[in-house]
Amino acid sequence: MIEMVHVFKTYPSQISALSDITLEISSGEFTFVSGPSGSGKSTLLRILCCAEKPTGGEVVVDGVQITHPGFKKIHQLRRRMGIVSQDFKLLRDRTVKENVAFVLEVTGHARGEAKSKASDMLKRIGLEEREEAPILALSAGEQQRVAIARAVVNSPSLILADEPTGNLDAKTTLDVMGIFSDLNHQGTTIVFATQFTGLIKRFPYRVIHISNGQVSNGKKVASNEVREVKAGE
Amino acid sequence: MGNLFPNLITIGIIAVSMLIFSTFTLFAFNLTNFLKIWEDKIEVIAYLKRGTPSSEVEPLLDRTRLLEGVEIVRYVSPYDAMTFMETKLGGQKNLLQGIQPALLPPSFEIQLKKDYRNPAKIDEVVGHLREIGQFEEIQYGQEWVDTFSALVHILRLTQWILGGLLLIAIVFITSNTLQLAISSRREEIEVMHWVGAGPGFIRVPFYVEGLIQGLLGGGLAILFLFLLHRGLFLHIPPSMQAWLARVPVLFLPPETIAWILLGGTVLGFFGSFVASIRVLRYK
Repeated sequence: MIEMVHVFKTYPSQISALSDITLEISSGEFTFVSGPSGSGKSTLLRILCCAEKPTGGEVVVDGVQITHPGFKKIHQLRRRMGIVSQDFKLLRDRTVKENVAFVLEVTGHARGEAKSKASDMLKRIGLEEREEAPILALSAGEQQRVAIARAVVNSPSLILADEPTGNLDAKTTLDVMGIFSDLNHQGTTIVFATQFTGLIKRFPYRVIHISNGQVSNGKKVASNEVREVKAGE
Repeated sequence: MGNLFPNLITIGIIAVSMLIFSTFTLFAFNLTNFLKIWEDKIEVIAYLKRGTPSSEVEPLLDRTRLLEGVEIVRYVSPYDAMTFMETKLGGQKNLLQGIQPALLPPSFEIQLKKDYRNPAKIDEVVGHLREIGQFEEIQYGQEWVDTFSALVHILRLTQWILGGLLLIAIVFITSNTLQLAISSRREEIEVMHWVGAGPGFIRVPFYVEGLIQGLLGGGLAILFLFLLHRGLFLHIPPSMQAWLARVPVLFLPPETIAWILLGGTVLGFFGSFVASIRVLRYK
């Protein structure tokens, strides 16, 4: 599903965000990308969703070499992805249902069909009673659930979630993790960036540690290594 | 579209720019029309030498008629000239008392073919007339024709130079104000990018917005110009109105109005296109 080979990202200010990253994530995998704040997790996810271009290396996402100079159809790839960010990126002047239906409308679904699918999705994540509520009337946890609903309503094969539980309390975090786990059980590949080791330890998924822009095994910094952590480790 | 204020500013700026351009177009159109009316009436008067025998008049008329560019030739005898002057002087015709018609030279009033009613062609015909020995003097108001033609030429040139500058200004302003409109919807556009909306889906509404703004701006310009044109007539002193009856100040013809509307629309579209290239890059 995802392949990164010797990927570098250096910003014009000469700050190196990623340095020689090589990793592979298989289809259907749930992968945590962990590391402290500023370690390069968000940059890695932004490269995967084509929001940034790496300065070197090759990246393949869902069979598409996104680092190829001729690659232009970002929108087609994004339709196969669900992106969840820490700041939700919801439309504040619309209702819960309108936010979820928006994805379907802009990708060519009829308005009626989009609203009906949005309602179904909101029911699945337990927000059916809030579907006509304006976004600003929702708590942070509810807003994050709306963001997740929006990310998955189009049945993407890959979800990129950047600190999706960063603003949530412990109970809501577990609720949100439950939604992601269910999606993963249904076959969706999930890349979940978080800095909370406590969360990682609770779930039996693979972990890629990243520190100072380099993938490490968690003990000593060494490029090109991926450490997989199983539950209980 | 969401943001009303930037949209109104854009429409207003397009309207003002197109109004300036349309005003010059209207001036140029009327001066050209005036020149056309005047050119239609343009005549060359060839004065015969005094004492030219009347037997030579008819062959000379025939010879003149055969010249290239000549349409009608009319012989004006000294008596006809005297009658014409008396008519012109009206109540003051007693000024001509004591003047014998024989003092006035006979002449040919030569009307030219349509294609020859311009300075270059008139010169050509006059050159041929000068080769005829029986003519003493040839008059055709050359200086006036040259000056007026130059004036119309300058006005047309100004119109297009100004049009070019306004065109750049309109594209620049439209693209900038549309960037404001785009900025006001940044959140929505970012989400569209995030969820995979196609570039066309994101850009087309802004193109349509530019088209509509351009069309409305062009339409307002035409409306203001029409009101100015009408208002001008309401305040014209009666003495000038009599003169204007002979040389009508026309409004722009429908095809020119259509071109101005089309121009505004295209400019609005181009402005939004430039704005979209600058700020709607997929990211």
